[in-house]
Amino acid sequence: MASTQVLKSRIRSVKSTKQITKAMQLVAASKMRRAQDATKASAPYTQAARELLAAISGHTSVAHHPLFEKRDVKTRLLIVIASDKGLAGAYNSNVVKLYTEQLLQDDKAGVKNTTIAIGRKAAQFAARIKDTQVLGVYQDLPDRPDGSELSAILDSARTQFTSGAVDAVDIIYTNFISTVSQVPTVQRILPAGLDDTTEQIGTSADATYEPSTAEVLDGVAYRLVEAQIFQALLDSRASEYMMRMVAMKNATDNANDLVDDLTLEMNKARQGAITQELAEISGGVEALNE
Amino acid sequence: MQLQLITLLGVKLDKEVYEIVIPTVAGEIGVFPGHEPLVSVAVPGVIVVRFKKGDPDKDLEYFAISGGVVEVSQKKVRILVDEAEHGDDIVEAESKAALARAIEMRDKAKDQVELERAHELVDRHTVRLKVAGLRRHRRQ
Repeated sequence: MASTQVLKSRIRSVKSTKQITKAMQLVAASKMRRAQDATKASAPYTQAARELLAAISGHTSVAHHPLFEKRDVKTRLLIVIASDKGLAGAYNSNVVKLYTEQLLQDDKAGVKNTTIAIGRKAAQFAARIKDTQVLGVYQDLPDRPDGSELSAILDSARTQFTSGAVDAVDIIYTNFISTVSQVPTVQRILPAGLDDTTEQIGTSADATYEPSTAEVLDGVAYRLVEAQIFQALLDSRASEYMMRMVAMKNATDNANDLVDDLTLEMNKARQGAITQELAEISGGVEALNE
Repeated sequence: MQLQLITLLGVKLDKEVYEIVIPTVAGEIGVFPGHEPLVSVAVPGVIVVRFKKGDPDKDLEYFAISGGVVEVSQKKVRILVDEAEHGDDIVEAESKAALARAIEMRDKAKDQVELERAHELVDRHTVRLKVAGLRRHRRQ
């Protein structure tokens, strides 16, 4: 049995670890609430944007617009969103798993693959993979990315697509469905309006476009695609904090259990030492009496 | 007809209305119930909303918007913008000060990025000021 001294120092170290995980849990919880509000707030916008894109893409004259052009997919750009830091449970590994699946799928279909990595963890993983070429890496994005960061990502995706270097752009992110469910998801961003999940509402197909179809598309398409990337970033961030919070809560609970176990063991060890001492004393007395 | 004013920060307005004036690239357009389906690009400016037919001008509501998309369908008008602010939420004095700051920033801008950002700010605060002014006139 380990000595009381050793057990005491172990308890102390587990307790201080617990303090750290507890603090991280609280930080993640407060950030998560803010991120969740942000992603909820912009959801109606993105939803409307998606419907509008789907409706516009049903319009006959959009087929030739550079952002709507459908081609056979021979090369594909994946935008992978993961976190900068670890200790977020399965958050990063879920994203990486989906990413690997997509890469394998491309490999089988003979599709060439390029990647834009958002978040240090995504970048580290993508850099080790031979099947893909990393076009760009974005790290340390703020919780609420503003125009400049967003447009850098969007611009490179758009340039790749319109120049014909890639035939499709997909985004891999973690969809924040609720506080208990965060699902890694692949979503097609370009060509625009090709999302299977949205139903055609068909109101705008025969609508008038003012001042002209081309001008409306130029003004609109870019913005709507941007909204989708924005939403993906917000969703991912909310999911990250959520999963980090849960992971840290589990860690804190485990530390508590460990402290309980160790305390029990330490008490046993102390009691054992006392019993032994008593036995030795009474043994000594016996010996003297003889 | 239903008006939905949707921003990146949430749904700003979702109400039955009678008349809307929207600034678009092709000029200001007025939309009444039964308007033909239309998709257009909104520019930074003022949206004017009349909720019921026959409402007097003093009951009009104003929103300062940034650029976005306008979609008019049979029963619904959907306006997607980055930002929209209700006239009542705008403090005229603050906007005036902000505009002055933005203009100063524009004049001192060192590179293209700064200049563009300043232009954006100037546009934004000009619109806000306009909304605040309109509101004041109508209420008097």
